[in-house]
Amino acid sequence: MVMENQKFILTKKLSTLIYGMIGIGVLSLAVSFLIGTGAERIAANLLLNTYYFLALGLIGLFLVTVHTIAESGWHTSIQRIGESMGSFIPVAGILMLLLFVFGGLHLLYEWTHEDHLDEILLKKVAYLNAPFFYIRFAVYFGVWVILAHFIRKYSLLLDKSGDLKYYRKFRIFSAVFVVTLAVTSVTSSWDWLMSIDAHWFSTLYGWYVFSSMLASGTAVLIILLIALKRMGYMGHVNNEHIHDLGKYLFGFSVFWAYLWFSQYMLIWYANIPEETVYFYERHKNFSTIFYVNLILNFVIPFFALMTRNSKRGSLILLPVSVIVFIGHWLDLYQLIMPGAVGGEASGIGIPEVGITIGFVGLFLFFVFRSLAKAPLIPKNHPFYKESLEYHTQY
Amino acid sequence: MYTSPLREPLIRGNKNYKQVTDDVLSPMAGKPSKYWYAGITLAGIALLFGGWATFRTVFYGIGEWGLNKTIGWGWGITNFVWWVGIGHAGTFISAILLLFRQKWRTSINRSAEAMTLIAVMCAGFFPLIHMGRLLLGFYIFPYPNTRSLWVNFNSPLLWDVFAISTYFAVSLIFWYVGLIPDLGTVRDRAKTKIRKAIYGFLSFGWTGSARHWSRHETVSLILAGLAAPLVLSVHTIVSFDFATSVIPGWHTTIFPPYFVSGAIFSGFAMVLTLMIVTRKALNLEDYITLNHIESMNKVIILTGSIVGIAYLTEFFMAWYSGVEFETYAFFNRAFGPYAWAYWIMMTCNVITPQLFWFRKIRRSVLLTFIISIFVNIGMWFERFVIVVTSLHRDFLPSSWTMYKPTVVEVGLYVGTLGLFFTLFLLFIRVFPVIAVAEVKGVLKSSGEQKKITDHE
Amino acid sequence: MNRYITAYYLDEEDLLKGLGQLKAKGLEIMDVLTPFPVHGVDKALNMRRSRLTRVAFIAGVVGATLGFGFQAWVFTVDYPINIGGKPFFAVPSFMPVAFELTVLFAAFAMVIAFFVSNKLGPAAKAVIHDERITDDRFLVVVKVGDGEGEENIKEIELALAEAGAEGITLKV
Repeated sequence: MVMENQKFILTKKLSTLIYGMIGIGVLSLAVSFLIGTGAERIAANLLLNTYYFLALGLIGLFLVTVHTIAESGWHTSIQRIGESMGSFIPVAGILMLLLFVFGGLHLLYEWTHEDHLDEILLKKVAYLNAPFFYIRFAVYFGVWVILAHFIRKYSLLLDKSGDLKYYRKFRIFSAVFVVTLAVTSVTSSWDWLMSIDAHWFSTLYGWYVFSSMLASGTAVLIILLIALKRMGYMGHVNNEHIHDLGKYLFGFSVFWAYLWFSQYMLIWYANIPEETVYFYERHKNFSTIFYVNLILNFVIPFFALMTRNSKRGSLILLPVSVIVFIGHWLDLYQLIMPGAVGGEASGIGIPEVGITIGFVGLFLFFVFRSLAKAPLIPKNHPFYKESLEYHTQY
Repeated sequence: MYTSPLREPLIRGNKNYKQVTDDVLSPMAGKPSKYWYAGITLAGIALLFGGWATFRTVFYGIGEWGLNKTIGWGWGITNFVWWVGIGHAGTFISAILLLFRQKWRTSINRSAEAMTLIAVMCAGFFPLIHMGRLLLGFYIFPYPNTRSLWVNFNSPLLWDVFAISTYFAVSLIFWYVGLIPDLGTVRDRAKTKIRKAIYGFLSFGWTGSARHWSRHETVSLILAGLAAPLVLSVHTIVSFDFATSVIPGWHTTIFPPYFVSGAIFSGFAMVLTLMIVTRKALNLEDYITLNHIESMNKVIILTGSIVGIAYLTEFFMAWYSGVEFETYAFFNRAFGPYAWAYWIMMTCNVITPQLFWFRKIRRSVLLTFIISIFVNIGMWFERFVIVVTSLHRDFLPSSWTMYKPTVVEVGLYVGTLGLFFTLFLLFIRVFPVIAVAEVKGVLKSSGEQKKITDHE
Repeated sequence: MNRYITAYYLDEEDLLKGLGQLKAKGLEIMDVLTPFPVHGVDKALNMRRSRLTRVAFIAGVVGATLGFGFQAWVFTVDYPINIGGKPFFAVPSFMPVAFELTVLFAAFAMVIAFFVSNKLGPAAKAVIHDERITDDRFLVVVKVGDGEGEENIKEIELALAEAGAEGITLKV
């Protein structure tokens, strides 16, 4: 059933749920302060969630743009979901800026303690210093927000008029976004995540984080798509599209595992103390999460999504997507916590769970708001008809 | 299936099925042209040069090479990695592009895969010859022996043995399974009895039954699914040869994906170099169109840019790490005695492919050909830079030295080039260079005639 | 002695249309020979999805177990040797070879199963009904038993003609 002008309408029930989630988040933040949770732990949690949901927004937009420049036909019909995920980017930027300005920077990053820098950190001052950090921050978000704005703008203009000149502009901005993200996703992950363990370094880090977010972003896209379908929208999307997204989730999970293994194996094998200290800490104090991370993000999606049927319906795909979403949150947890909070002060309790629920609510709020603004079907996109009639042979 | 009018046709000239068969198979039937003879003569001479160099190496030993105590790996390993890299395009095209449903792959996958197999053979030659005793090459496999010793499973060089031989074997069966239906076509059109018998044997009794086709498709798909991670694993393991060590400039975690992307980069460059000549020589311009060349050029920008980002990441991290050896190794690469090699690499690999951002250049056959050769050269120098500049200044300044290849090493390299072109030239005489059945399969959805009916 | 009636189409869309009509008439089609895989034929002939994928999975598991197990056995039981201070049971070190063997086993087992189930192989003799099926013809083959009367044969031939097939011939 295809209703070409169908628009998403946020129901009362759903918005109550979203406000409830945001409420839980705010409440948990307050409770965390009251029960005397360490400031570092709260700051680290806020960083974790702002980064995680920012990355989901970026990946949503990345999937739209990369399919646009690859002239992919099938993806057109689900393009709006990715675009809407992108609407969270500026929100995450504001929250992150607030976090850094109000003490987070000092709490999280050892290199900001200018009076106590050791010999190694002194060498890095040219890159790791607060003014330059903020300049880079401004550049990243400036570029992302501007590009996201234009991509969305031309996508909607194309939808209104069907004029191919907008399609061309849409493609050009998509290409610029992909190239920009290729650089900024790497450098921003150094700035915000790798510099927590300021002495440690790994050249693969940026791509590792990106692959993690790619898997998670795909999982969120699948969850949103299935949810919308259950609410009665997206009638034009069938099992073929879901099958393709399932293959992505499978592929990206394997790719993530590949990069995880590459980084771990090389550091383990060469056994250089400056490098192994990173995994030593994670083995010692975070050993459960270390292994759970691998099971949730690789073992489960790999075996659950191996058969064709499991990818062609929501029965298996939906739970696996939720698992992967949680799994990569945990992956990010173990990238941040050991350095920022340490083994003894950290844990998973009210601050972690509550604040994350709040962010989920906030994310959904902006995604749904953005979804409601435009027709769900880009009916004037030149590849739209291909997307409708398409079926995979495999 | 509906195809958007925005898409360019992949097969030009309003062909029907019979014309496809004729166009692809006709070069196999006639007498080879004089260019073919000229090509194979040149390749044969190169091969003879290589034969002489092999003889010198085996008869007199590795002392014939320019290696020394500090630089134990020179041209041999450089050429090995270069050839393995080139051998990545074929399986990438037929496996990963199949999974991504890229229809343009059908016109180039057959010859790209053949190129892969030949390139892996050329690559395998270098570790073997470096052992000095070719006849004892089987020592690298774990087999029960009287010394009751096993091979060292902790060594990345051994992983390489498994990776390269698996890659060769799986690529071979993948290629051959795809070839069987086309060999059936050659068999059914053969004029002489001998040809019929030979191709009848090679085509394994193919009949084109719907049941066979259904299983054939499943096998191709699953083989693609298996070959896709395999392609990644091969160059990953090659990169482990370097990255598991503690040598500054070698030990860096970005190596695995960066090597893979560099391999696909150089592989596509070599496919372009070969295909641009082949399409002209065999009159296949309707099948390997500008659209195909443009698509391959897009893969070149993508992989070339990934390689570029990796270079910059490495350089930045060398400084950021604060490790003085690491910093020095990279400073020495860019400004030391081998700086010329480094800047050739940078120019050819990072700057020239960026020209493909311009549609005009992407669609220019001549410029594509020139740039593809630049990339081939650049990727050779990348391996040379990694191998030699990281070694020649080791931890003890007293053992710092330089490396220059001898004429024997040059001979081995030229010899493998000769082998490569000889085998490729034989391949285009013996097998259909384009996957006939696969092209027919996309003819309706991507040929020119479909476009006409669509607009009605 | 088996006899076959063959008839061909020159276009896969006509073939699919024709197959639909023949199926409606209840004619049992032995095989369809085509120059390239035509999607829809598998449905018209009521073919199952191939189960070769299972062969690949099982062989892959065997390859992985064998690859990993063998290395572990060599380094912990048969000949433990200290290499660069690595533990004897060095899991990350065993991964590359285990992975390669997984792929090798899965790929070869599946291709061998493919040849066996199709009865294809170097010495296999092809039954060629029409040499042009590897070129541009889409051939429908109907098997006719020994006891089949002339009338039945006529009927089948008529059905094929009605379904738009050309070059209807009876072969012994």
